[in-house]
Amino acid sequence: MKARVLDSADVLRVVDLLRSLGYQVMAPFVEEGGDGAFALVTDENRDDIALHIHNPLYPPKRFALPAIEPLLEIRGHGAETRFRPLVEAPRVAVFGIRSCDVAGIDHLDRFFLGGAYRDIYYATRREALLLVNVVCTQPGVDIGEACFCPCTDTGPAAREGFDLQLMDLGDEWLALAGTPRGEALFDEAIFRRATPEHVERRRALLDQLRTKFRTYTSWFAAAVSRITRGEVPEGTWEEIGRRCLECGGCTYVCPACTCFTVSDRPDGPDRTERVRIWDSCALSGFTRMAGGHNPRKAVHDRRNRRFYRKLSQPFIDRERSVACVGCGRCADVCHGDVGMPAVVELLRRGPAPQGDPTSVAASPQRSDLEAGGRP
Amino acid sequence: MAHPLTTCTFCGAGCGLHLETQGGRIVGVYPSRSHPASQGRLCVRGWHVHEISSAPDRLRRPLLRTKREGTEFTEVTWDEAIAFLVERLHAIVSRHGPEAVALFCSPRCSNEEAYLLQKLGRAVIGTPHVDHGAGVYANNSTDVLARLLGCPAATGSIADLDRSEVILVDGLDLARQLPTIAGRVIRARLRGAHLIVLGERSHRVAEHAEHFLQIRPGTQARLYAAMAKVIADRGLHDREFLRDRCQDADTFLNAVREVDLLGAAAACGVDPAQIEEAALAFGRARSAAILYSTASPRSPDVIEALVSLSLLTGNVGRPGGGIFPLAEHNNLQGVCDVGMLPDWLPGYRPVTSAAGRAEVERRWGTSLPAGPGLSAAAVFSAREPGPIRALWLTRYDPVGTGPGAARLLEACDLVVVQHVFRTETAKYAHLILPTTAFGEEQVTFTSTERRVQLAAQAVPPPKGVEPAWRQLAQVARALGASWTYPSAAKVMDEIAEVVPFYAGISHAALARDHGRQWPCTPDRPTGTRTLYEACDRVVPFRLISPPARPHEEPVDPSYPLTLVFGRSDHYWNQNVLVQHSETLRRENRLLLLDYPDGFVELNPEDAKGLGVRDGERVRVVSVEGAAVTDARITPEVRRGAVFAPFFASQVQALVQGSDPEAPALLPVRVEKEVSAP
Repeated sequence: MKARVLDSADVLRVVDLLRSLGYQVMAPFVEEGGDGAFALVTDENRDDIALHIHNPLYPPKRFALPAIEPLLEIRGHGAETRFRPLVEAPRVAVFGIRSCDVAGIDHLDRFFLGGAYRDIYYATRREALLLVNVVCTQPGVDIGEACFCPCTDTGPAAREGFDLQLMDLGDEWLALAGTPRGEALFDEAIFRRATPEHVERRRALLDQLRTKFRTYTSWFAAAVSRITRGEVPEGTWEEIGRRCLECGGCTYVCPACTCFTVSDRPDGPDRTERVRIWDSCALSGFTRMAGGHNPRKAVHDRRNRRFYRKLSQPFIDRERSVACVGCGRCADVCHGDVGMPAVVELLRRGPAPQGDPTSVAASPQRSDLEAGGRP
Repeated sequence: MAHPLTTCTFCGAGCGLHLETQGGRIVGVYPSRSHPASQGRLCVRGWHVHEISSAPDRLRRPLLRTKREGTEFTEVTWDEAIAFLVERLHAIVSRHGPEAVALFCSPRCSNEEAYLLQKLGRAVIGTPHVDHGAGVYANNSTDVLARLLGCPAATGSIADLDRSEVILVDGLDLARQLPTIAGRVIRARLRGAHLIVLGERSHRVAEHAEHFLQIRPGTQARLYAAMAKVIADRGLHDREFLRDRCQDADTFLNAVREVDLLGAAAACGVDPAQIEEAALAFGRARSAAILYSTASPRSPDVIEALVSLSLLTGNVGRPGGGIFPLAEHNNLQGVCDVGMLPDWLPGYRPVTSAAGRAEVERRWGTSLPAGPGLSAAAVFSAREPGPIRALWLTRYDPVGTGPGAARLLEACDLVVVQHVFRTETAKYAHLILPTTAFGEEQVTFTSTERRVQLAAQAVPPPKGVEPAWRQLAQVARALGASWTYPSAAKVMDEIAEVVPFYAGISHAALARDHGRQWPCTPDRPTGTRTLYEACDRVVPFRLISPPARPHEEPVDPSYPLTLVFGRSDHYWNQNVLVQHSETLRRENRLLLLDYPDGFVELNPEDAKGLGVRDGERVRVVSVEGAAVTDARITPEVRRGAVFAPFFASQVQALVQGSDPEAPALLPVRVEKEVSAP
């Protein structure tokens, strides 16, 4: 992998370069209330790009798989019905995508492109998508309380899956090219040769950063083993189900989740648009069939399905990893604290003592951390 | 800003969320991590607002009914629409008087549109009949809290539930109706808070409770009185608080000590030891919060009893304690604050108060109609034709959410519907006015924790569609008023002048920090997190003693079960917004798919005794009549209770005979329905 170095002051010029090449560049900005978001870079906001920021909650998978994606336009009736595919391929560059999210895009690639059926909508967007990965280097800023990418081996620095990777070494940034597209950017004058010393600084910094992930952990091995062997007590699933409020949030924010449904939306008497919308196996109707049968009717059966899909050995064999990238978003959006870290803890521990739910509270709550513990 | 920050359009939790837009449409949504109440969480409805907002089948032009009978409409211009409206209104008012007109809104209307709607009714047309559509139970809550405490609103903040040592949830399926708050409660429980749940029906949050008192329908007041007795007997009441901040504490304590605990336990159908344990947990807590829903059947005496319990233990004014009358609609609190109530003017001035009316009359420069108006519940449930001949409905779909409305709408000479989509109600309109949807205008909503929040405009409305508040101003001008509101912000500026506890609120102020909790006044510019903190209070709180001999309805052996109707479970089922999301429609109609003719819910043991199996047809018989529907057998329902979900219209019609102002608890019997050959 080719490496280069650039001055800190020149980092945003990579954004300018991409824009000049015709990409719509999405970069992180601080929003109202301190939340972060990837948004389109314009001349007006270019200087406001926030290089170091808590990973925005809205996952960048949306640039390859939008939350609502038009598929077809249907016009006319009966024999005159006409279908027009709506396939879009805007050239989008995501500047500042995190290593965990890069791994997520890889999961989506395997799902939408890697099997017998190749999804034309996904493929078209993906081919036009350029990923500039920025490595998380600032604990408390880039690295949030819910992050646990070392547990999924997806960070803090991705090893593959990006076109270009940028890492803040202090006064200089190290750039790695992951693809020919990324390498082509090295023709720019802002890039100069990297030395072995730079590579060593990167290695040392990453070693140090891995110790900064303390709050949430997710030690998968035992959980994988138990779930694969069917050794998780029913009571554990029921506990998880009791805490789940069936909002779908974990699926929507998960960089590795791919489920969707299709909806036809009428637009006047003569036109219908068919769209693809994110869906979630947390929801009761997800598996309900015509005729009424629902193989995953009870909420704990649905939660069982999710974690089996993400953690069991047959799926790991197929996907090359657990279907989790350690971003921590599911923990952030979950009402009942049954995101991945908490569930892995529950699976590892085995059955809870009867009637004592506090014994299975796995992860410290953000409000706890803010308030400095219970009053 | 890339993704405008706004607040959800569904329930009263007031979650913060960001909208992603593209090409003038809302295409995505995600939660605001920094929001103090929702903290990065949303429920399934919030996660789908973008789907609804981008639905293409919007109303785009005013529609006038072409024939006297029938439902054909023709597109007209705004000028034609207004002209028709003015002419028809004048005709009705000159023949029947202004009291023939009623204006009702959805509890999801913005503060700006609700304020102008009631002003249009009272100040321009001269009718006292203004109300929101959430129903009588909400108004009971408003009345009692105003009378006992002074302020009809939650005394605390949602975030402070993290500090509650005890949380008591009364009578609502919190996890389904206000999931973000349920999440807080569950997480508090996981950290060791005690959870007490009261109600006839089990639900997700009840599964987490150490103390689940599955009481008989309608016995909450007795339960609260029994808890108060245990607390008083054990000396766990807050003597200082009672002495310094309450009236008639001694009378109350004496009455409470006389409560017959064993009798109450028998009436409630629970073990007296259970009541005692729950009471001790409540009484010993450093902070105990009571959560109930304003959308569930609840008579004034129940609310009086729970307020008195909270006062007895000194919890009102304590962060983590207090009373949460939860609003299940995103702006129920706001529409009440700005006066969409038949017996309260803006700012909770009673219509009967001469001083209050004078203040509002002075600011508006008009005189106001005397006397309270009719509530929406009264108008729509009346058996005989009443005085109403003209109806203005803003975002409100009474036909879609209950029976009775259709009959009245057919009889009216003028029905005006302002909405986003073509609803069931719109079929009965003479004039349909299209209006702005969520995300298409900058307006404000007030959540259940008194948080007034700015909903930013994310996309422009469809061409030619105006905000509802602007349409109301146009109509007022056409009727002769001199209203000028160049922006929604200006409407809020007027609200701030008329509603004292909104005095410090403006759109500019709300654009910071996720809004402001009222009272927000010049001396409290950042708002108020907890009401009635020790430093604030001047007028003493009122305690209401439990009755010495509680009324016990003798059980008629012909009607041994109690039908519980009107609880909000499945309220959103028929809602037009929900119908416009593939996912929400799917999730909300799941039960209906299993029971396509509707259902009532029965406990398995009761069902067994009746020989009824799940899915079989049953006849629900009361002294008023009978309704036939299907039975859904579930252990979630208490023995002796029969549940009719919100939308079961045949069953609702059965209940219609009873007083619309009282909770719907009807003695019934259930019979297996033998199908006709």
